[in-house]
Amino acid sequence: MNRQEAEIKLKNIFGFDHFYDEQWETIDLLFQGKKVLLIEKTGFGKSLCFQFPATQFQGLTIIFSPLIALMRDQVKGLNEKGIDAKYINSEQTPQENSQTIQDAIEGKLKILYIAPERQENQEWITATRKMNLSMIVVDEAHTISVWGHDFRPAFRRIINLVKLLPQNLPVLATTATATKRVQEDIEKQISGDIQTIRGELIRDNFGLYVIKVESEDDKLLWLAENLSIMEGNGIIYTGTRVNTEIYSRWFEFTGIKTTEYNAGLDANSRKEIEKGLMSNKWKAVISTNALGMGIDKPDIRFIVHTQIPASPIHYYQEIGRAGRDGKPTQLILFYNSTKDKNEIEEDSKLPKAFIDGARPSLKNYKKVIDALKTEQLGERQIIKTTNLKQTQIKVIKADLIEQGIIKEVIYGRTKKYEYQFNAPELNTKAFDDLRELKLKELNSMLEYINITSSRMKFLCDYLGDNSHTQYLNCDNTTLEKLKVNPKDSTKQKLLEHRESYFPELLVESKSSKIINGIAASYYGTSSIGAALHRSKYENGGDFPDFLLKLTLKAFRKKYEQQHFDLILYVPPTESGDLVKNFAEKLSQVLNIPISHKLIKTGTTQAQKALKNACLKKDNVSKKFSYSDPKEISGKSVILFDDIFDSGATIKEIANILTKFGVVKIAPLVIAKTVGGDI
Amino acid sequence: MNEELAYWLALAHIPKIKTKTKNEIIVHLFEQAKNIIDFFQFEVSTWSHDFGLNQSEIELFLEAKNELPNYAFLVEDLLEQGYNILPITSPDYSPTLKKNLGRVHAPQVIYTKGNLQIMKEQSIAIVGSRNANDDSIRFTDNIAKKASVEYKVVVSGFAKGVDKQALDSALKHKGQSIIVLPQGIATFQSGFKNYYKQIINGDVLVLSTFYPKAPWSVQLAMARNPIIYGLASEIYVAESSEKGGTWSGVMDGLRKKRTIYVRQPNPKEKNANNILISNGGKAVDINGNITDYEIKNNDKSLLFEPNSNEVEEKIIAFLKKGVFSAKEIVSFLKIDWNSRQVSNFLKNKRDIITIQGKPLKFTHHNKSNLAQKTLFDNL
Repeated sequence: MNRQEAEIKLKNIFGFDHFYDEQWETIDLLFQGKKVLLIEKTGFGKSLCFQFPATQFQGLTIIFSPLIALMRDQVKGLNEKGIDAKYINSEQTPQENSQTIQDAIEGKLKILYIAPERQENQEWITATRKMNLSMIVVDEAHTISVWGHDFRPAFRRIINLVKLLPQNLPVLATTATATKRVQEDIEKQISGDIQTIRGELIRDNFGLYVIKVESEDDKLLWLAENLSIMEGNGIIYTGTRVNTEIYSRWFEFTGIKTTEYNAGLDANSRKEIEKGLMSNKWKAVISTNALGMGIDKPDIRFIVHTQIPASPIHYYQEIGRAGRDGKPTQLILFYNSTKDKNEIEEDSKLPKAFIDGARPSLKNYKKVIDALKTEQLGERQIIKTTNLKQTQIKVIKADLIEQGIIKEVIYGRTKKYEYQFNAPELNTKAFDDLRELKLKELNSMLEYINITSSRMKFLCDYLGDNSHTQYLNCDNTTLEKLKVNPKDSTKQKLLEHRESYFPELLVESKSSKIINGIAASYYGTSSIGAALHRSKYENGGDFPDFLLKLTLKAFRKKYEQQHFDLILYVPPTESGDLVKNFAEKLSQVLNIPISHKLIKTGTTQAQKALKNACLKKDNVSKKFSYSDPKEISGKSVILFDDIFDSGATIKEIANILTKFGVVKIAPLVIAKTVGGDI
Repeated sequence: MNEELAYWLALAHIPKIKTKTKNEIIVHLFEQAKNIIDFFQFEVSTWSHDFGLNQSEIELFLEAKNELPNYAFLVEDLLEQGYNILPITSPDYSPTLKKNLGRVHAPQVIYTKGNLQIMKEQSIAIVGSRNANDDSIRFTDNIAKKASVEYKVVVSGFAKGVDKQALDSALKHKGQSIIVLPQGIATFQSGFKNYYKQIINGDVLVLSTFYPKAPWSVQLAMARNPIIYGLASEIYVAESSEKGGTWSGVMDGLRKKRTIYVRQPNPKEKNANNILISNGGKAVDINGNITDYEIKNNDKSLLFEPNSNEVEEKIIAFLKKGVFSAKEIVSFLKIDWNSRQVSNFLKNKRDIITIQGKPLKFTHHNKSNLAQKTLFDNL
């Protein structure tokens, strides 16, 4: 098919008159059965480069994509054009996924989107045996390179697959962000005969700003005064999940319409928020960087980062989601440059901590290896045998598989990990190299903060595109610098907010009468944690009175209108009568009787000594009872504890109380830890 | 090398084409300094002129060519799970197997897990009945011990009786062993669990020549026997009846002029060892030493191992009486199959009706109406 013929078909199916030259170049190579790596900026029209040929091939095109939102959008768009496309991912029920697989086998589909993790699924692998395959596409291909900015282990398998595919089967790998090093790595991995097409990366509708601040409060203050006057709608990226909540509550308090989004939300809530984002339901969505990749919204007008990303590639990738319509778009990056007593700048700490925390200690690698030298184990069994956090186990597993030391083997429906005969020694140099690289990238990001020349030029150079000569539109060139200079009234408002903001405990469950609870504060982010620690572990005596005041305030905010019959408290493991004494004070002030009949029926370890949720749950399972069950039947109770971590203890007690006929269990704690295990 | 694997599987698993035809293609490619990828890229006319494929063969090859991407998925999955896929051209492919089976019989691909070096060592196979007598078991233990002391590998078919004894004895005496599977390698769950340590320590290699996901079946169990003989440099027979797997395997070996050592039976034993000796097997004593034993009594053996066909017939006859689960069949008939084997056998059987549910139940098409509903209703 020549270009002219193809463009007639393009008009009929997709409604476009022409291909861009680079699009046609790509498509033409795919028609010849070639392998192509396509690096083009967001908004270029990369999808058309595989969607169009897919409609022309006789069989099925499989697209491996890590982006669920993108799958959803693109499938919807394709179906509207009458093209048979579906997707398989964790958002659908197993039945829906099975039906999609069946359709693919029966040749009813032209295009199938699938998450790379599915390559581990036996139903899928078995089904691939029977499909008529015409092309393989690897979307977001930078994730196949460990040198890429968010390498995903599942993509390693996709690379292996691509290497095994027969010659003449067209393969397209696409990405918007690849440095030269990543490009070369992808080329090398996919094999010698891949051709790379690289476009320009400049986004000249972007206005790039950096705001240097002196405290966390400065960020909150600037946004409270400026967010509502910014053009259009956008996204605020925070560095951590808990910050999405903190920022979101603050905007709620100041009356700016926002919502929070993070990977902790269930699929339905996420979908709802993505939909709301599309329809400009909020001024801004406050999110971790889980949101926005692959969302087909052309008019995101601003993106604010309250923390710096890990590298200029991350930054380019994250802001790349904005302004796809080519209209002026604001990109603002906050940086708190205050130095601590060790001369380290505050905002360099979080990304540094991510790098340091990215790899568990070598001792923990050895623990996993030793466990697997003894027997084959599933993931849960590894967690139990080694007492390591699940998040750590996941990293260790991926590294050990990558290095060929262990393998993940599937027997029926269970996954086991097996040590390999003749396995190599753990290669720690690979870890050191990667850490070095990440530190270097972080330094480049810090450099971006401090440069005085064009910011877009810096980003393009970094990504290996130096085709342009003129770069404008940033606070170092043609735009005015933004500064923090808050009014006193805004500062006052922040103080008021601090005293009325209490973290929620999301513990509601269908199996018990527990309701979502409340904490007086976060453990780590205030003087409260220190006060608790003094009393609990440094013989500091009873919890101080200001904690009582704050806890009462939290109680009133959450439970003011509700009736309670009794206050119960969690019997302690090691802190003596602190919790009991505090509960008695609460009882006096609230005028709700206290009960001492919630008891332990077995010994438990301190929950904080246990590293993962499975062990925590086991630790408290069946360890509590109530000595006079009849007394509490039909009652509504407050369940008090000092610190809330995984919630396992409170949930377990609620199960028992529910069995004894309690009709409402309302958790109340002094502090909630940040970043619990789950 | 890996990029050829999907092509190798496509070749190995084409149905209805003789092993010899497939191996001759490989030899031909080798002589022309071409590889298997080249072969699949050749024009159909080349297939027919240079490789002598006929029309129906060409169609089968075209079909296999279409399935190449599908095989790529399978290969990726197998490699990821730590299985080795060894084409006959691989330096890791067992040289003993290649030499013994030759181009007429050698499989194009073998699947393994474990220490590949084991295939390069001197090896012996000890074969015999599933319900062998005590002498046979003792003989097996002796031979396996001797082999282990001499650093020879013991090849085992992993069946009950002699096979299993050979494996256990070899491991007990710190020897090495190859387990040859009567099924696809990806279905050997319990074995990979039970022999985990031996596998990761390099003492056991698990090997299969069948489609990796194929479940156990009688046909595969029979087809495995020549592989066992092929992998062994020496063959010892502990006990054989006059039909069944051991018998046909040994007779086949003798026809192929292999040296086969047969345990010299006691005068009172009823088996076919004597017949094998009279057909060219070398008599050995219970320690494996060659004897000058002459066959005095050429009695036909009376004791038959219940071979697969008999078990199958028994099961089918039994199902004419009612509706039973696989487990009930095993316990009632006291056969030495496990429930899964029974299920797999029955699922594909004509005249057998599978009744969905947990557990699955089976009955015969011609079941009489008076038959009991389940085994336990009437007990």
